[in-house]
Parts: sequence; C-alpha cells; structure tokens
Amino acid sequence: MSQSTTPQKGNLTGSARKLKDDAADWHNLTLRWERLNDEGSATATNIVNLGLNKKSHAESEVVMEGGSLSSGDLSENLTKSNQELEEECGKLKDVVDKMANIVSKMEKMVQAERGICELEAFQFGEKGRPEPLFHSWPTKQFAEVSSQLYESYKQELALKKTILQELAHTANADLSMVYLSSWLYQPYIEDSGKLLLESLLLETGHRPL
Amino acid sequence: MPGSALLSLQQELRRGFEALKAAKDTFDGGHAECQELVSSLGNLAPQLKALKQVQISETPLSGFPCLQQRLHYKLSLAVDALLAKLAEKMAALQKVWDAFAQQVFTVVQLYEKNTDALDISVCVSRSAVCPSVSDMLEWLQDADRYYRLQLMQSRLLLQTLTPTDLTSMETAPNRWRSVRSARQEERIADALCQVSIFLETE
Repeated sequence: MSQSTTPQKGNLTGSARKLKDDAADWHNLTLRWERLNDEGSATATNIVNLGLNKKSHAESEVVMEGGSLSSGDLSENLTKSNQELEEECGKLKDVVDKMANIVSKMEKMVQAERGICELEAFQFGEKGRPEPLFHSWPTKQFAEVSSQLYESYKQELALKKTILQELAHTANADLSMVYLSSWLYQPYIEDSGKLLLESLLLETGHRPL
Repeated sequence: MPGSALLSLQQELRRGFEALKAAKDTFDGGHAECQELVSSLGNLAPQLKALKQVQISETPLSGFPCLQQRLHYKLSLAVDALLAKLAEKMAALQKVWDAFAQQVFTVVQLYEKNTDALDISVCVSRSAVCPSVSDMLEWLQDADRYYRLQLMQSRLLLQTLTPTDLTSMETAPNRWRSVRSARQEERIADALCQVSIFLETE
C-alpha cells in the first residue's frame, strides 16, 4: 500500500516517481475498498436479518403476554439477538472506518498531485513542461483523474455512513432492501472510474501498452 | 449383407451414446450453473421492487443526488450481466446438443437405409451384453427429444426475463428448476448404464 512497496523500476525521480507511485496506490486502495465492500455487505445483510428476527420476536411476545411460561425464554432470546445485533453493527462500523481511512489517503494523493501541478507551473510556466512525464498525459490530467476518482469514493463513503447509521433502526423492509443494494452496488462508483484507473495504470507503465 | 449392416449400425450407435454421454455431462453441469445465475436474477427482482416502492426523498437518503436513478442503473447492469452470462451458457449447451442431434440423425438415417438388410428379429434381439438395436434407437431419440425440449423451454424462459417484468424475474428460479424432468433424467442415466458393456466391446 505504501510507496515503499512499489517496486523501484528504472530511474524515475521527482514528479514522475511520485505520480507512478500514486497510480499504484490508487490501484491498491480501490482493490482494498472492494474487499471491504464485500465484507461489509455480508455484515449489513446479517444486521437486516437480525432486525427482522427481533421484530418477529417482539410480535410473538405480545401474543404470549397472557402465559408466563415461555416469556422468560423470549426475553432471553431478545437479549441475545440484541447482543448479536450490536456486535454486527460494531463490525460494520469498523468496515466504514477503514473505508474512511482509504478515502483520506485518496484525498492526500489528490492534494499532493495538485502540488505537483503547481510546482510544474512554477518551473515551466502556465503551459507546463514541454514533454509529457510518461507517454502522452499532461501532468494536470493526473490531478484531474485523481480528483474525479476521489469525489466518487467520497460520495460513496457518505452514503455508507448513512447506511451504517440507519440500517439497524429501520422497520421498513423495502427501505432495508434499498440500503443493502445501495451498499452492494455502490451507485456513486461508476464503471467509467474503472476505465480512468486502467488508463492511469497504462499511462504510468504499470500495465504494458 | 445383414452382418456388416448390423456392425456398422452398431458402430454408429456407439458414437451416438458417446455423444449422449458428453451431452448429459454438459447439460447436468450447465443446468446447475445456470440455476445459480437465475437465482441471482431472482434476488435482484425484490431489490428492484423495493427501490420502486421506496420514496427516497422521504428517507434519510434524501440528500444523495439521483440515488434512485443511479441505483436502478447499477441493478439493471447487474441484470444485463447475468442475462449475458446465461446466453453464453445456453450457446454452449446448444453446441453440444447440435453435435448429439447430428449423430442421432446419422444413426437413424443409416438404419432407414438398411431396413431391407436388417431383419426385424435381428433388430429386437438382445443379449446380456448388448441391448437390441430398436431399444438403443429409441433411447437415443428420446434423449434427443428431451434435450431439444429442455433447450427450447430454457430459451423461452430467458426470453421472458427483462428488468421491467419483476414478477417473472422473481419466479424464474422455480420455473428454471421445473425445466428438467427427473423421470427423463433417470431414463437417460439408465440407458447409459445399459449400454456400458456394449460401448466397451468394439
């Protein structure tokens, strides 16, 4: 994940080195995000199922109010399922925290790349360097691609935070389903992002042309 | 020359059963794989339904721009991807069935050409190691008909599946299961058992 894990190939230095390492980081961070997304999806499904169980328990308890025989069992069950629900919510919070960590790393990369652009403007003037750093992209394009990717993950993170807050508290089955599919299908991460990332990897030489 | 006609017919019958074996393996595996894909489609239907029923603007998700459209788009993409995979699997099944059907056609044609040379008593006589020609022809033709029907029913089922018809998508997994007939499957498996020694004797 860190820059030290990127193999040092050739004798890239300065801005080119930094941009190439960032491209590798983008690749690693998005892969890690996907893994966390799958993990979170399973946990979120558990939370919804536990919520449904809890609801049906509560309903059966109302029915059993007259008889005192099994109401003890029921409340014991309820405590147990509450505990489980809390555990699963804790797990989902961990996932969202890790995702937030990823997004803050992405933000730092965007800032660093803007810095590289400013440095270049300082060195070569507004037109930038005469020769591209890699194959064809002007340096600005790296900052633009990073910023575009970052915006989509930032929005997705905000959505996941909302889902985390609401998932265990919603009684509406349809809304729970919308939360689950929003989590799994990530509406703000578009396929065009994958294309951007792949072209970034091609441009920086991580993928053979 | 009744002897040689019988021998060459038996040779073609062997090839027919080899093709049946290949078809059965592919159909068994293919059907199970498709069942999984159709189940995934069945899971997407309630998600699309829920999305239709929920008024996002009245939920805690109201602040997210175009969420309904974006999620609907992503779910439709998932449906399309599954349908494309199913179409690919169906094409593979069709190919295996084509090869098998072609072989059955060859056997039947050869039989019809030699009906004069093949006495009825020869065609119905069987031994412990070799089922009768008439039985074997019947088994091959039955299997051919069964797979053709299965393919047609599967195709018909898949044609009804679109992201707009959620009810048919939801019931698809059960309907997919009923495309296969346990009785016919058993008959094919039995037939292959009965010809196992015949296939080994060249």
